[in-house]
Amino acid sequence: MDLFDIVGPVMVGPSSSHTAGAVRIGYVAGKLLGEDVRKANILLYGSFLATGNGHGTKKALAAGLLGMHPDDYRIAESLQIAESQGIEITFGEAKLEEAHPNTVVLQLWGITGKSIEVQASSIGGSRINIDKIDGISTNFSGDHPTLIVHNLDQPGHVSEVTSMLAHKGVNIATMQLYRSAKGQKAVMVLECDQNIPEDGISWLEHVEGVLKVTYFAGI
Amino acid sequence: MVFQTSHLLIHFRKETYGMTEYHSLQDLQDLSASTEKEIWEIVQLADMEESGRTAEQSYQKMLEMYQAMKEADASYDGSLRSASKRAGGDGQKLQEYNEQQKNICGPFVGKIMEKAIKMGESNACMRRIVAAPTAGSCGILPAVLLSYAEDYRTSEEEMVHALYIAAGIGKVIAENAFIAGAAGGCQAEIGSASAMAAAALAWLQGGDSETILNAAALSLKNMLGLTCDPVAGLVEVPCIKRNAYGAVNAAVSAQLSLSGIHSAISPDDVIDSMRRTGNQMPACLKETSEGGLAVSDSAAEYLK
Repeated sequence: MDLFDIVGPVMVGPSSSHTAGAVRIGYVAGKLLGEDVRKANILLYGSFLATGNGHGTKKALAAGLLGMHPDDYRIAESLQIAESQGIEITFGEAKLEEAHPNTVVLQLWGITGKSIEVQASSIGGSRINIDKIDGISTNFSGDHPTLIVHNLDQPGHVSEVTSMLAHKGVNIATMQLYRSAKGQKAVMVLECDQNIPEDGISWLEHVEGVLKVTYFAGI
Repeated sequence: MVFQTSHLLIHFRKETYGMTEYHSLQDLQDLSASTEKEIWEIVQLADMEESGRTAEQSYQKMLEMYQAMKEADASYDGSLRSASKRAGGDGQKLQEYNEQQKNICGPFVGKIMEKAIKMGESNACMRRIVAAPTAGSCGILPAVLLSYAEDYRTSEEEMVHALYIAAGIGKVIAENAFIAGAAGGCQAEIGSASAMAAAALAWLQGGDSETILNAAALSLKNMLGLTCDPVAGLVEVPCIKRNAYGAVNAAVSAQLSLSGIHSAISPDDVIDSMRRTGNQMPACLKETSEGGLAVSDSAAEYLK
């Protein structure tokens, strides 16, 4: 654990998990969408649903979607700010099984029509985990620069991605591989120690067999 | 769209075992002795090794934490109320009482209580605070340190060094036990914060490394078994007032230690006991609001 997770972070109260963690979830989800949010349907689960109002969890999630960080004084007014910007935010209950008590599902639509569904949980302190993206299991914190590549399950794609990172001098901290079935769609999630240069990302987008590239530079 | 997924997780650990790596309070004391450096220096060097920050970057970040604490304390607003509309204004009451010179706890402890309650209330009212180690326990460390800085006119640099000591203690507790109420009860939050503050205060008063760690041990020992049973799951009751008790407990522990009173249980054994106690604590007393104060008749009235 980082020393400044012990003394720190600087945050708007009242709860590191239900407020600061929720801001971070909203922030990462918004970045994963990759463009400004036009509409969000936010589904709360467990303790987020039960005690979210008193902890400002809804305001915190909305604040994160607007690009705010956990120490932003405007978190308390985030819902009004979203409304004034014409962003439609609705809330509901997530029907999940065996999820972490502090879990939320964010269904997001962007200004150019991109959409994404992110399931994430606030796992203690203000640390978070991104559990699913568009229904596919993932497992990353958002603390590091994170590269998510959707590709066809064919030989060589992992090597293409890791070679590009090696070429750019980017060290991989963690790497996870998933596939829907043999030869079908696959996803790799790589958390890195350095930022990935833009030309590396755009090169990857043009590789045959790569379906989608999402890059998030870290909180 | 839901896929059946196969799951392969490769986790590369990049830990390198550095010169100032510590995993226990005994490590801190041994390193302090073998390198002839103070504990705050060991904690800073370890942070540099672990995070890659330079000494200046690490110092700057800790200074930001100290300044944020000061700002949070100075910007307390007694007119604010929390989302439940029930928390707020008690810090103002304490301030007014202290100003009437009726303070039976003495000026320093009176000031500590006031600052701790104020910070706890600011947190409940969605103001900006510094989690130390958590938001629920955010009042303890600044209450002790800022009161000390005001009364003893210590330099900013000394206060940053005191924060390093507190952070080092908290890091060992987090590694060997817990700092979240959901994991270990309130002893993990208010208890840890109080131990961190006690150690920092003992150093500010000139204590050597043994005295500093002994202060942390005495402080945490007195908090063992404290449950986390917040009314309606909110960081209000009993959390806000416990910040005052945690802060005063830190001052008492520092004074006991500085006077030469020794904890029969070693600092690391106290942390280990906290872990065992937390693990044995039933789930209803670990932030689920299904036991203790949270299910009392008065609790049902709280949100009405």
